[in-house]
Amino acid sequence: MTNVAARFPSIRLVISTLCILVLCAGCSVRRVVFNDVVTTEQINFIRIGQTTILELADHIGAPDEVTESEFGAVALYNWSDTKSAALDFGALARLVLPYAPTLTLNKTGITPEQFQVVFDPQWTVRAYGFSRRTTDEPVVWFWPF
Amino acid sequence: MLFPKPLAGIVIVLTLALTQGCVVTRGTVGEPLQEEAISAIKKGTTTMAEVVSLIGAPDRIVRGYDREIFHYYYYDGKSPAMLLLLLNFIRIDIKSDNLYVFFNRSGIAEEVVYGKRTDRTQFRLWPFGD
Repeated sequence: MTNVAARFPSIRLVISTLCILVLCAGCSVRRVVFNDVVTTEQINFIRIGQTTILELADHIGAPDEVTESEFGAVALYNWSDTKSAALDFGALARLVLPYAPTLTLNKTGITPEQFQVVFDPQWTVRAYGFSRRTTDEPVVWFWPF
Repeated sequence: MLFPKPLAGIVIVLTLALTQGCVVTRGTVGEPLQEEAISAIKKGTTTMAEVVSLIGAPDRIVRGYDREIFHYYYYDGKSPAMLLLLLNFIRIDIKSDNLYVFFNRSGIAEEVVYGKRTDRTQFRLWPFGD
């Protein structure tokens, strides 16, 4: 007679693995990270009217863009962390069906962020600020509605 | 012979099985900025023409407070991906290097601002965490 109780841990392992595979089936996780985040702690050293563009570059790197605005020259630091996840309900069916059904839910959150520094004609900081800061979103969040 | 034939076959099949669905992509924009050339720019003496002969024509020319600013940039992106039958992970990591050379009204370099980030670009597959 087969001892089912002795085999129970391995059966449980196989069933758990299959459950995880079924739960993950059709999942697609994408992430695009552009440049380093500039945090408020990193810019604590800035003193208006004193800090120069050179000191700024020493602390947080060279800006991604320098442009002239009606308020004066502006240095822009850009970064983003784009997260995208999708769930394709047809993925499992494709293993057994001769055709490839597709029903996909997908959500992508593109979050470009910017740190802007305005300089006076001596290239010392006149003003600075962050663009609209976004809250952290989960990496896996495919519900688009 | 280093490997018996069946073992070599198993190793090849295992390697192919383990790496199937793996995609490795690298993308760059522009040419890497040469640090020797950047350090050759001397504030107060190097002219615009000398900067061009050292580094090349700038990618952008910006005007700031009636002064010319040469902007050079380089982008480096690394993207590993795992495209399995049921599950896909894709991650792209992009960073940029930027060089600005500020010229005075006589066309002489008066400031050099350089920042390098691309040495921290990584082939990192795991999309979770920081």
